Amino acid sequence: MSALGLPAVLVAVLLPLLTAVALAVADRFPTPPAPGLSRWVGGGAAVLTGLATAATVWARPEVDLPWIPALGVRLHLAVDGVSAPLLLLTALVAVVVGLLPWHPPEHDPPVDRTAPLPPDPLEAARGRATYHACLLLVLAGAVLTFLTRDAVVFFVAFELVLVPMWVLVARHGDATRRAAREGAALRFVLVTATGSTLMLVGILGVATRTGTTDLDRWEQLGGAGTASGQVLLAALLLLGLAVKVPVWPLHTWLPWVHATAPTAGSVLLAAVLLKMGVYGMVRLVLAPLPQGFATLAPLLAGLAVTGIVWAGLACLVERDLKRLIAWSSVAHLGFVVLALAAGTETGLQAALFGNVAHGVVSALLFVVVGELKRQWGGASLDTARAALREVTPRLGFALVLGMAAAMGLPGLAPFWGEIGALYASWAPGEARPTGWFRVFMVVAAIGAALGAAYAARVLREVWAGDRTTPLIADLRGPTLVATVLLGAAVLGLGVYPALLLDLSAGSVASLLAAGSGGGP
Amino acid sequence: MSRGAGLPAVLQGLEGIQLPGLPSVPDHLDWPVLDPSALPLPDLSFLPGPAEVVPDLPGTAAQWAVLLPLLAAALTVGLVRRSSRAAAWATIPLTLLTLLATLWHPVTLAAREGEPPRHSSTVGPLALGELVAPLELQSGRLVVLLAVVVATVALAVQVFARWYLFYDPRYRPFAATVSLFTAAMMLVVHSDDVLLTLVGWEVMGWCSYLLIGHYSAKDSANRAATKALLVTRVADVGFVIGLVVLAAGAGSTRLSDIVEHWSGPAGGDGPWLALAMTGVVLGVAGKSAQVPFQDWLPDAMAGPTPASALIHAATMVAAGAVVLAQLLPLLQSAGPARLLLAVLTAVTVVGAALMAFAQPDLKRVLAWSTVSQVGLMLAVLAVVPAGQGPDAALMQLTSHAWFKALLFLALGWLGVLTGGTAVVHVVGGTTRFRTLRRPLAVGLLALAGVPPLVGFFSKELLLAQVEAGVEAGPGVAATVVLAAVGASVPLTAAYCMRAWLVLGRGQHPVLQQGATRIDDFFIDRDVLEEAAGVEEAESAISSSARSAVTALSVLTVLGGLLALTPVLQVELVVNVPLLAVSLLLMALAALVVWALGRGVRTRDAAARLPHPVVLAAERGLGFGRVYTTAVAVPVLAAARAVRWLDREVLDGYVRGLGHLARGLGAAGAWGHRGAPGPAMLAVLAGAVLVAAVGVVTG
Repeated sequence: MSALGLPAVLVAVLLPLLTAVALAVADRFPTPPAPGLSRWVGGGAAVLTGLATAATVWARPEVDLPWIPALGVRLHLAVDGVSAPLLLLTALVAVVVGLLPWHPPEHDPPVDRTAPLPPDPLEAARGRATYHACLLLVLAGAVLTFLTRDAVVFFVAFELVLVPMWVLVARHGDATRRAAREGAALRFVLVTATGSTLMLVGILGVATRTGTTDLDRWEQLGGAGTASGQVLLAALLLLGLAVKVPVWPLHTWLPWVHATAPTAGSVLLAAVLLKMGVYGMVRLVLAPLPQGFATLAPLLAGLAVTGIVWAGLACLVERDLKRLIAWSSVAHLGFVVLALAAGTETGLQAALFGNVAHGVVSALLFVVVGELKRQWGGASLDTARAALREVTPRLGFALVLGMAAAMGLPGLAPFWGEIGALYASWAPGEARPTGWFRVFMVVAAIGAALGAAYAARVLREVWAGDRTTPLIADLRGPTLVATVLLGAAVLGLGVYPALLLDLSAGSVASLLAAGSGGGP
Repeated sequence: MSRGAGLPAVLQGLEGIQLPGLPSVPDHLDWPVLDPSALPLPDLSFLPGPAEVVPDLPGTAAQWAVLLPLLAAALTVGLVRRSSRAAAWATIPLTLLTLLATLWHPVTLAAREGEPPRHSSTVGPLALGELVAPLELQSGRLVVLLAVVVATVALAVQVFARWYLFYDPRYRPFAATVSLFTAAMMLVVHSDDVLLTLVGWEVMGWCSYLLIGHYSAKDSANRAATKALLVTRVADVGFVIGLVVLAAGAGSTRLSDIVEHWSGPAGGDGPWLALAMTGVVLGVAGKSAQVPFQDWLPDAMAGPTPASALIHAATMVAAGAVVLAQLLPLLQSAGPARLLLAVLTAVTVVGAALMAFAQPDLKRVLAWSTVSQVGLMLAVLAVVPAGQGPDAALMQLTSHAWFKALLFLALGWLGVLTGGTAVVHVVGGTTRFRTLRRPLAVGLLALAGVPPLVGFFSKELLLAQVEAGVEAGPGVAATVVLAAVGASVPLTAAYCMRAWLVLGRGQHPVLQQGATRIDDFFIDRDVLEEAAGVEEAESAISSSARSAVTALSVLTVLGGLLALTPVLQVELVVNVPLLAVSLLLMALAALVVWALGRGVRTRDAAARLPHPVVLAAERGLGFGRVYTTAVAVPVLAAARAVRWLDREVLDGYVRGLGHLARGLGAAGAWGHRGAPGPAMLAVLAGAVLVAAVGVVTG
């Protein structure tokens, strides 16, 4: 461990946590902090968290402290090949979230300038510190989820993001109606909490079987125990995690929540929260329960390809742009889960790469569409808008880049995940029905073509055309910087995929080797 | 054309020709043989290293050929701000450097003759687990030829666009897209890896989408761009599946590994090879606009003319031929795929040539002729006997690239002068603007295959190759292709003659007495003085753009010499009867067209076609409607069904869960609304006490 390691990991975990607590407490004071101050503190902490997370990945420190000795739970933080790409993604997203400005949601009542008393300045400030605190809490939960090597701590960190996300959606969501905001937030909490409960049962089950909550031990003991017991536990865990990913048919919360969350919230949801589901599948199911996973893999893969086609079709008729982007997430995660289910090294590599690629692309698209929704005053495609190509070249370029990536254009990040998923599905691992997986591959390839259809549809309706009114402003300032960062990541990962693939290759090989070696 | 039974197929050599009345042909044609290794090389002996190794650029020419256009695109997008001049300075010199790199390539190759083919790395190898993905580029004889062809056309297009679109506010993205397009095609040409091929393939599709939709304020351009993207992407489903199956069998994405695996005993004649190659053929048919995917290409004329020149000449539509040439050994052993390719291309070659004849817009004539000509190069790949190379098809690719780029650029130039490319606009174009007479004449003659232009050589090589295919193994595929190629000769000549008659019509020609006159609603415009026309044509175009057209003309005239160089390993068999028959058919077709055009004021032979036929031809025989009803409507119906199911059924459960939770909460709240009575409290306290006693004593 280099000298940088320990401070980096401490900053990455503690800084957002402590800043969040401080901001949330300060918001309850009679005079809450000024909006500018909250923004600087919150944004600065987020950017620092991002940098510290990146430094953690670089230095690879390892922290191992006893936490709850009675349960054998240790605060064991380490970085390996499976978590490193996701930590880098979280770092990038942290910087982006730190940069994105807060915008008053559409639903706030307009200030009445003729009122005899001036509006209360405190009222405007109220809630802003909480907003930034929630963002930081989600980041802290994500960093901890990806760093920890203990199943119980994993669960705690996994759940840490739930409430702040609920606050973000319910309080700061950009739906015009209160009922829509609260409906979306309720959906989110209800569905993911149900999933988490199932996951907790699964975690306890595996912990009872193995006698430890150490994820590394789980990986080494992978394959131990009877196959039927493995299947039951794997089913519980997969069901719980599939809600988070989400896998068809447990996806219905996603378009609602995504479409309602504020831009930074959507970015966090797409780029971090959904990733935690896939990461959980690798850590909690694939590694410790290889036989159970193999038994359920065909079903999982079938649901995944159904999701690809289902979401692709939904994108063709969706009339809300932000929800359309959310739908495309379901399709992309279908490819990720398909690759994961194939159970080969190629598949796992493709899944991890596709996971990160989707995070970057959907973050980019949500930044762009969030900006559009704010300026348009809604994301409906039914209203005639000015063609982006004519009035806002930067926004237009970012949208073209994002949609090209979403349709799986080679040279941009998601392509490598998709093609790897198709390959892995055609040549699945042992103990998997080859015939079924080949059928899934053909269906997935057709689903990928749907991506081109909805990308072309969006570009034709939003980007091309001759209307130049109503005029909207182009990207600038921090939002532009955030967009450029994300765009560079989409392009960089697409042109040089070895960057991430090399990072995870070693761990992926050892993970699968441990799983297959320990079996009866 | 159909070969008479009396005509001997002369393949064994020239000794076979003993027809009376024909001059005897010498055994050995004493053409100057251009040997790249004999080209003057700069004295580089002062450089370190073994003397026999020609020091290459840092990296290989293949890498530079891909990298330089990519760099041009990146520079144009990233650095240039709103200045067309700066964009031109970023793209044109780098495209020129690309051409120089590709020209330097054969020199280094010749210096390394006898060594195994060189491979150069790109961004790989990828750590994809069991799958070996080295992502390498290759170089070789044919690769070099194709790279040079692509680079020449790209340079001509860039230089021409510098004039054609200079005052277009979107010149900068256009130049960047063309550069990216060039890089993608270079990637396909140099690729030794199916993943790289797929990358180049799809990026080209995307660039064509952007280029066709260049005038994005126009709805027709948007529609055409979307159509091009969707039709090719749907066909690419087959392409992707095919390549994945091929790579999965070999466990590697390297082309040579794939070819080796599937040609060996392990690959065998199993169904998978046939399936995979059928998929690839479908993808190629989509990209190359073959039946039934042909309809996107004529609509793609909505893009600016330089973009059409690029898409139609050397890049997108020809990429299919490049990929199939790389996979030729596999195509040869996959019977069903081969038959499919033969049938699709044969139908396309003839059908598209007929469509070209009926089009009322010369740009669309060229578009349909592209469909037909690309069909020819793919058709010949379907019948190349095992053991022979794809040289004839690639010669056709080369020749088509040059003359078609020339025709598009010259027609674009004429369109600027006359205000459009429809027949009514361009009537008499070459008599009014005589500067254009030569390039258009050269292009049309080459397209028709008149000696000694490049089109003649490629067509003869093609005919010889098809004949060899028939000789090697007569089958349905070979016969169908032979018939189609034969029929294409007079048909091509017919539409070329028609275009030329329209273009070359003089002012107020006196119609011949006796010919049937038809009213084509054409009114002669005011007479322009010839000198004024020349002046206008001269001043309208920048000298660099003109030199691009001239350079393409020169290549079109002299390109046939390529067939005599070692770059192409073809049997130079002059099959005199075949030659004579094909020339005769061409002349006959031209004569018929001339006769038909006599009574028409525009000299347009197609004006004699019934109006419904012309209208149907202009609309591509309603294939667009077929796509809509067969694909778009069902898919959208399914999408609506999905939306309904998702909202009403799947999400219904979630909402139900929410209602359930709220209901339970409400029930709990209702149950707790009253204060518990004292008796109740006493019972509860007793229960707790009993439990406590039980815990303590137990």
